[in-house]
Amino acid sequence: MNKVLEVKNLSIQYKTDLETVYAVNSISFSLNAGETLGLVGETGAGKTTTALGIMGLLPERTGKVPSGEILFEEKDLLTLKEQDMMKIRGGKISMIFQDPMTALNPVLPVGKQIGEALLLHNTENLSNDEIEKKVEETLELVGIPKARKVEYPYQFSGGMRQRVVIAIALICNPNLLIADEPTTALDVTIQAQILSMICNLQRMYKTSVIMITHDLGVVAETCDKVAIMYAGEIVEYGTLGDIFTGEIHHPYTIGLFNSLPSLTKDSHRLHPIEGLMPDPTVKPEGCWFAPRCKYCTEQCKKQKPPVVEENGHQVRCHFPVHQKGVE
Amino acid sequence: MYKYVAKRLLYMIPVLLGVAFLVFAILSLTPGDPGSIILGITAKPEDIAALNAEFGYDKPFLIRFFNYIGDVVLHFDLGTSYQSRQPVINDILARFPNTFLLTVLSMSAASVIGISLGIISAVKQYTALDQTLVVVALIFASIPGFWLGLMLMLFFSMKLGVLPSYGADSLRHFVLPTITVCMTSAAGLLRLTRSAMLETIRQEYIRTAKAKGASQKRIIWKHALRNAMLPVVTTLGTSFGASLGGAIIAETVFAMPGMGTLITTAIRQKDIPVVMGSTLFLAVLFSLIILIVDVIYAFIDPRIKAKYENGGRSRE
Repeated sequence: MNKVLEVKNLSIQYKTDLETVYAVNSISFSLNAGETLGLVGETGAGKTTTALGIMGLLPERTGKVPSGEILFEEKDLLTLKEQDMMKIRGGKISMIFQDPMTALNPVLPVGKQIGEALLLHNTENLSNDEIEKKVEETLELVGIPKARKVEYPYQFSGGMRQRVVIAIALICNPNLLIADEPTTALDVTIQAQILSMICNLQRMYKTSVIMITHDLGVVAETCDKVAIMYAGEIVEYGTLGDIFTGEIHHPYTIGLFNSLPSLTKDSHRLHPIEGLMPDPTVKPEGCWFAPRCKYCTEQCKKQKPPVVEENGHQVRCHFPVHQKGVE
Repeated sequence: MYKYVAKRLLYMIPVLLGVAFLVFAILSLTPGDPGSIILGITAKPEDIAALNAEFGYDKPFLIRFFNYIGDVVLHFDLGTSYQSRQPVINDILARFPNTFLLTVLSMSAASVIGISLGIISAVKQYTALDQTLVVVALIFASIPGFWLGLMLMLFFSMKLGVLPSYGADSLRHFVLPTITVCMTSAAGLLRLTRSAMLETIRQEYIRTAKAKGASQKRIIWKHALRNAMLPVVTTLGTSFGASLGGAIIAETVFAMPGMGTLITTAIRQKDIPVVMGSTLFLAVLFSLIILIVDVIYAFIDPRIKAKYENGGRSRE
């Protein structure tokens, strides 16, 4: 299988005059054609920053990439000129944003907004009529009647707007699709529809997908590989099987699963992970999860944990928890 | 849309009546009567009373008010000036073209300068150019109009002798007053456009446009500008209206016969028909301009258009 995306030791920082936020710290992962990678973690773990880094959309003045490589089809995106990046952005790599209510321009008809992506990456020299036709096809594909292309975003519900956002992302048949919590802002019934739609379209076009989410249910449904992120690091990385049924785990992964309310066990309490993510402006010694970890030792507080690897299943921990499955 | 415009035109009636009543009341509450102002303090009381009776000023306030409104509404008659004994409409028609020309010239210059520099300033935020523009705009927004007018006059009329310093006989007479009025408005528009643009380009749909691969230029022109224009159009409309009501300072400094000087002189002379006539005339114009601004809104933002068409309700 050929690699579509390989991220090596990527670090991203937000630098202002006052402080430096270490948003992403030396993460590595790779993605083959047609695969889905789940980026999982709580708010502030650096998932969206990673996505924006790949898209080259980090804030110009503050977003810095001090180290790392992002190899997309064997080209390092970080070394590309803005002009070349513009050709890839929206064409070969596209992104679905989290909040469909704010992601669409309120004063342009949705058809124009979808067509614009194709217009900007018109590699096949389509005429305007052909672009319009493709817009209508894409709208039908995401389940919106083509007659609605002249309508404005305010005339659509949240779920329908997210379909429009997806149509914008898919119209150029990208090789890589980054879906940044595509269902967080939607209600549950619509969530399932949108997810299965993304999966079907992915199968149709053999697109690779990075699925950013904090919902482990979504991961189980859609992903082939999973990277669990904590404080800008990948703490556990492996196939879906490794994460859900593997032998060794990071305590954070276990905590994450335990904090899901169980439907099968009769429990009266939720089990959250106590505490908060560390301050992203300081890099503490030792393991960054240590203050919240119930297996924490003196060594954990002082020494940065190594990456333990078993058949490609990586865990960044001094004492990975040996446990079959996570629940 | 037509229905909306018709409704708004009807709303103008109570507004204009209100304006008329307020101005009329204020004029009547201020001390002094037209007879004694025209004839002077040495005149005999009988003469003053006779003159006041001729103007109808001896009648009670409400009767005078309704007589006036009746004349305006039924006979389209704005009355006769106490001072010149000419129909008020003649005064207005003689002065208004000057004010209108000054307003159109200065507002078009102000919007071209203010909006374009505002956009440049926002796009180049944090650069030396942006900072320079912000400081210059702040200076011009703070300079009093009369001082700027006098300085321009001193330099261009007295020192260089290239432009006339008073009157309104040719287009050259309009250059200095236009600059005076334009600079303050342009500075305000620059600051407003800049902040509206900065707010717009931080919106998420701008990020969506970037994620599509749109260039900076395309993002500014196709996505940001239209969204940023709403507050700018509002301000432009109100300052256009306000400037019609008299760029009083510029008109006074440059001794230009315009609406502003007409009204101020009439107030000083207690020339009630002239004050009322010109105020009503300007109130009609101002209301129409605000209406035009609201109609322009509909073309900028489809949500507002939908609101107008649904009679005030929208889906959001």
